[in-house]
Parts: sequence; structure tokens; C-alpha cells
Amino acid sequence: MKKNDFSHSRREFLKKTGFASAALLSFSALSSVIPLGNGKAGNWIGPREAEAAPVKEDIKDKLKATFGNRKIEMSHVTMKAPIIAENGAVVPVNISSDLPMEAGNYVKKIYIFVDNNSNPFIASVDLSPANGRAAFSLRIKMRKTSPVRAIVETSKGKLYGTTKIVKVTIGGCGG
Amino acid sequence: MPQGIGKIKIRLPRTVRKGQIITVKTLIIHPMETGLRKNKKTKKKIPAYYINDVSVYYGDQLITHENWSIAVSANPFMSFDLKVDKAAPLKIVWKDIKGGIYQKTVQIEPR
Repeated sequence: MKKNDFSHSRREFLKKTGFASAALLSFSALSSVIPLGNGKAGNWIGPREAEAAPVKEDIKDKLKATFGNRKIEMSHVTMKAPIIAENGAVVPVNISSDLPMEAGNYVKKIYIFVDNNSNPFIASVDLSPANGRAAFSLRIKMRKTSPVRAIVETSKGKLYGTTKIVKVTIGGCGG
Repeated sequence: MPQGIGKIKIRLPRTVRKGQIITVKTLIIHPMETGLRKNKKTKKKIPAYYINDVSVYYGDQLITHENWSIAVSANPFMSFDLKVDKAAPLKIVWKDIKGGIYQKTVQIEPR
């Protein structure tokens, strides 16, 4: 009995600390995803985030080249990806959005970026109202632990996005 | 060269009703070489060989078009949604950088 109690509390402890650190990570990722702010909120680097590599100049340039100075709103997009990917060569990513898909107002494009890959651009998908719902999934390669960004562009030119940090234990780009 | 490049699997729900939004799951056998990997014995780079262009046609309309980079996994799995509003063939075409074109058509028959 006693042993059981102990393991139970240990599990709970792990759960709580796990959630706390995950929340911390996602918060810092959120504040760092919009590249054009003054970055004050993103400047604080926690011990876990330092390991996960903060936003490099590279991805900022890439986002700027793709989207110009348009602002990316962090809403309406959900991404399912593992918190820890054991094999960086196969990381399943599922992106969906609750934005409408009607003629004249639909999700035109979905972009996937991984900050720490040698080429941060992974894929872009052109959708049309015939898709009925903005949803897409793909298996991607990740060189190392990095934020994964999903950015959605509507036909009206608005941008929405989300970020999630995926920890990679074995890299998948070779070399 | 690995066997079976261009082998395609497409999975649809067993029954499809008109007006329903279904998820189409696809898998294609392809090495997706990045061009960054080295052959460990000869120390030579393995040349890039990957799919960079995917198109989905429903009937004769292009509904989805995808641009892929080297960072899509080998034997790429991809899924997307489709609003079923007619009985029509669904054609999916993959193109790789060496000019290979792989395609498969499935018939969508709503009840």
C-alpha cells in the first residue's frame, strides 16, 4: 500500500511539473513567434528554451520574405504534434483551422516552418473551398529540437498561426 | 535504387454521403533524399531526390496543390479534407525533381 501511495504521488508530481514546463515553453514560443515586435516578451530565456534554441535571424528573414510586414494572429489554428519526437526523421504534424471555407472567404494557404532546419520552409498547401475544411497533415523531418510553426493565410489576406516546440532525440536530416 | 518507388495507397471512408466532409489519407513510397546525407563508405553525398509538387483534382477541378521541400519524411504520408458534393474521380499526382510523375485515381461515389 505504502509503495503504491508513493508511486502515485510521484506520478502526480511528474505530471504537474511536466505541465508547468510545457505551459512555460508554449508561452515563450507564442511570444517569440511574431518576429516584428520589439521582442521584449521573448527576450527572457528560460533554461529549457535556451536548449530549444531561440528564434534565429534566419527564420525571421524567411517569414518576412514570405509574408512581408503583415501581422500574424495567434488564433484559429490548432496543431497536433508530439511533445517529444523520438525519431526526427518522422514527426507527424496535423494542422487544422476553424476558419470558414466558403467561396470568397476561405483558407487559401497553409505553411509549415521548422526554425532549426537548414531550410526552415517545409511545405505550403494551397486549398480551395472544395476542401470543405482547412485541415492537413504531413510527416516531416526535423534536424533537432525546434519550434514548429503553422501559418494559415485566408483569401482576404489575413494571417493566423500557431507554434509548438517539438523535442527531437535523434535528428532526421542526415549529415 | 530502392524497390517500389511510386507505390501509392489512398484511403477513403468506407461509405460516403453527399455533403459530407471526408478525410483522404494518402501514402506514397519514395526515398525523399535530401541531398545532405553522405554515403558512409564512400563519403560521397547522396544526390537529392524528392517530391516537390503534389496536386489533387476532384473531377476536373484542381482543389489542392502542395509544395514540398526536402524536409518531408521518406515515404510521405499526407492527408487532407474533401467536401463530397458529386460523384467524380479524385486524382492525386505527385511529381519529383527528377521528372518522375506518380498518380492514382479513385472514384468517389456518394450515396
